[in-house]
Amino acid sequence: MRKHFWLITLFIVLTLLFTTSIVFAGTKPAEEKPTVMEKAEEMPAEKAPEVDLTVPITVLVTDPHIQVVDTWKPIWEAQTGGKIEVVLVPYATLEEKMWLEFRTKTGSFDIACVPVTWLGEVFGGGHAENLEPYMEKYGYPGWDDVMPGVQRITKWMGKVMALPYDGDNHLTYYRKDALEVPKYQAQFKEKYGYMYQIPPANWSEVRDIAEFFNKWDWDNDGEIEYGVAFIAQQNSQAMWSFMDVCAQYTTIAGTPSNYTSNIFFDTETMEPLCKSPGWVEAMTRIQELTEFAPPGLLGYGYSELRQAFVSGNSAIAFDWGDIGIQEQKPVEYGSKVKGLLGYGPLPGAKKYFDRKTNKWVEKQHTVNFLNFGGWVWIIPKAAPHKDAAYKFGVYMTNPEHSLLDVCGIHGYTGANPWRWSHFKTPSAWVRGGWGEESVKGYLKAISDILQDPNAVPDLLIPGTPEYYTGAGSSLDVHLNAVLSGKISPQEGCERIYKDWVRITEEKGFEQQKAFYRGSLGLK
Amino acid sequence: MASATIGRRNVKFAFLLPALIYLMLMAILPLVWTLTLSFTKWHANIMPKPEWVGLDNFKYFLFQDLRFWHALGFTSMYVGISVTGELVLGLILATLLSQKFRGKNFFRVIYLIPMACPPIAVAFLWRMMLHPDIGIINTMLTSIGLNGVKWTTSANVAPFTIIMVDIWEWTPFMFLALLAALQSLPTELYQAAAVDGANSWKMFIHITLPLIAPVIVTISLIRVIDAFKLFELVFGITGAGPGSSTESLSFYVYIVGMKWFKLGRGSAASWLFLIILLIFAITLISRFKKQRT
Repeated sequence: MRKHFWLITLFIVLTLLFTTSIVFAGTKPAEEKPTVMEKAEEMPAEKAPEVDLTVPITVLVTDPHIQVVDTWKPIWEAQTGGKIEVVLVPYATLEEKMWLEFRTKTGSFDIACVPVTWLGEVFGGGHAENLEPYMEKYGYPGWDDVMPGVQRITKWMGKVMALPYDGDNHLTYYRKDALEVPKYQAQFKEKYGYMYQIPPANWSEVRDIAEFFNKWDWDNDGEIEYGVAFIAQQNSQAMWSFMDVCAQYTTIAGTPSNYTSNIFFDTETMEPLCKSPGWVEAMTRIQELTEFAPPGLLGYGYSELRQAFVSGNSAIAFDWGDIGIQEQKPVEYGSKVKGLLGYGPLPGAKKYFDRKTNKWVEKQHTVNFLNFGGWVWIIPKAAPHKDAAYKFGVYMTNPEHSLLDVCGIHGYTGANPWRWSHFKTPSAWVRGGWGEESVKGYLKAISDILQDPNAVPDLLIPGTPEYYTGAGSSLDVHLNAVLSGKISPQEGCERIYKDWVRITEEKGFEQQKAFYRGSLGLK
Repeated sequence: MASATIGRRNVKFAFLLPALIYLMLMAILPLVWTLTLSFTKWHANIMPKPEWVGLDNFKYFLFQDLRFWHALGFTSMYVGISVTGELVLGLILATLLSQKFRGKNFFRVIYLIPMACPPIAVAFLWRMMLHPDIGIINTMLTSIGLNGVKWTTSANVAPFTIIMVDIWEWTPFMFLALLAALQSLPTELYQAAAVDGANSWKMFIHITLPLIAPVIVTISLIRVIDAFKLFELVFGITGAGPGSSTESLSFYVYIVGMKWFKLGRGSAASWLFLIILLIFAITLISRFKKQRT
């Protein structure tokens, strides 16, 4: 027995030593030496070899965007003799899949469609290719046609690191057959003592409209409708619904500075603004809205929201441009609201908290917020067929093809307009199933926000996913606890504040401050 | 003679060696690897290699991270209620279906179906049925004039929704094991008890339960260990929400380690999870052994 004990101990010690040596051997940073491929990429265009497009290209993509790849895949394969292999994953596991590849460098995919909000760590960590050499070598069609805000999100430290694919911001969607009915308007005025604006001008109006249209059959279809719907599901994108409200109460529009168009951190001290009265007010407002929403609201991710709203269950919704696309397709997406939707910018607020004076300022105002930023295509450093992947990315995002992807002709693709030309070609949108009046309103609502020079940029610094949805730390989790009534808005904001302070310290205070100031265009 | 003994011993070790190597690679090495990692800080998407931090990760979970304790609390409640419910229902079903009546084989097969379904499929099936807006269960409730229930979107109801689905899925396991145990009981004891005038309830309490107690402990232990690893139902039905009201320990470990690549913390959480399970299992087994002796 004693002999066995020593044998087992020896066995475990050896295993421990072996493991420790492996763990601490460390991995050599990928960027130390330029690879042969990288050297080749730096060759002048005239010396660059032709790209072999017959190679298989593996594409990592999530659910709505598969529509785009599926559309162009057979044509690409027929034209080039190549092969497109698709790795389709749900949004919830896309990040995990992406990071697994970046850590293991197995070359499991050549090109991936990912959200901009993750890119601080991806680009900062050197996991994606710098695309400027590829652009020099192979060109990029219509770069000047890409809207400035969208160009900005493809860049890191001044270099283009991703191909644009999507222009993203939240809009207000409202049911015209509710808000524009004179009888209902008269009843509303009688009840609340004022008449709302169309689209609603501020969140106070949204609250009253939502309450007024909640839980009765205002469109006479035999079913109960609700007041308001938005993305509220945990581990999804609920934080952007909150930021829609938060932006209005926390800041005022202006050239980004510490006190204008700034909603996340104090730019001088890097102190999170989460405990500010503006955040608490926004948290209170959004918690209140859940009372006038469908019972399944906290289960609404983007798919559930879109399906529910186009099936006609609410009077108002807030979402990216995708509801507009699904609205046009009664057969494909079960839309019962084709032609019944109106579009507008986000509601503003009647007041905002001025941190400079530490006082509330009573003033009707609106802040445009570039939620999420959009989806882009990146090419991982370890991708086996980078040149072919770049060519395929360009093929999908050139002006002609991207127009078909955003205007509804290819259905719901998750891509919203992002080139100037997308806004100047209403005829394509009409072919995509839109009414002429509808498309005018829709495109105006989006372009007004994208062109706003004072629009608040989303949080685009290393650790953004962690600030938003990180383990043990997130805005997402505490927001969900507030929405479900488990904790008060004040407590939710305090918890977020503590988490954000800790994350900033873990990431490095000075580094985070520099990145944050840079993201607002401050020196 | 001595060389023959050494030769025989070598042969013995030669036969054991493949199994030992396999065990080392597949079981011991990962365990030791994660133990080593648990003393490091390795945020793998920004740090190229781990940094030694000693016991910091364990201290973090034990003394700072309320979410860890909340996940442990929910998991413990879930295990307690669901395993007890499954045991009681399984025992009732096994007792009923061990009687002689026509068509009992049909019911036996029907009751086994939930256990045969993949857990993630069960999760999505129930997620759709329990959808507060369009789910069939709320539709049925409202059609008879009752209010719909926020099965998955209320922080108070959602934990019990997970428990309900687990009971639906795993009661058949208890039922199957207990049915086999009941059918293996000797009939003589019951005949003797009947002669002594014992009624069915007394026979059940004084004969059946003591005889099947070892089976009950064994299957409860198996279920407790399995239930502690709750993941698929949470992932598929509630996504751990609302808030973190249905966040199980293994789901939390997954988020820390796999979703955010905090490999040091994830490993520490995994080890804490393992230690908690071991303590629980050893306590249960030793208590049972004491009772037996």
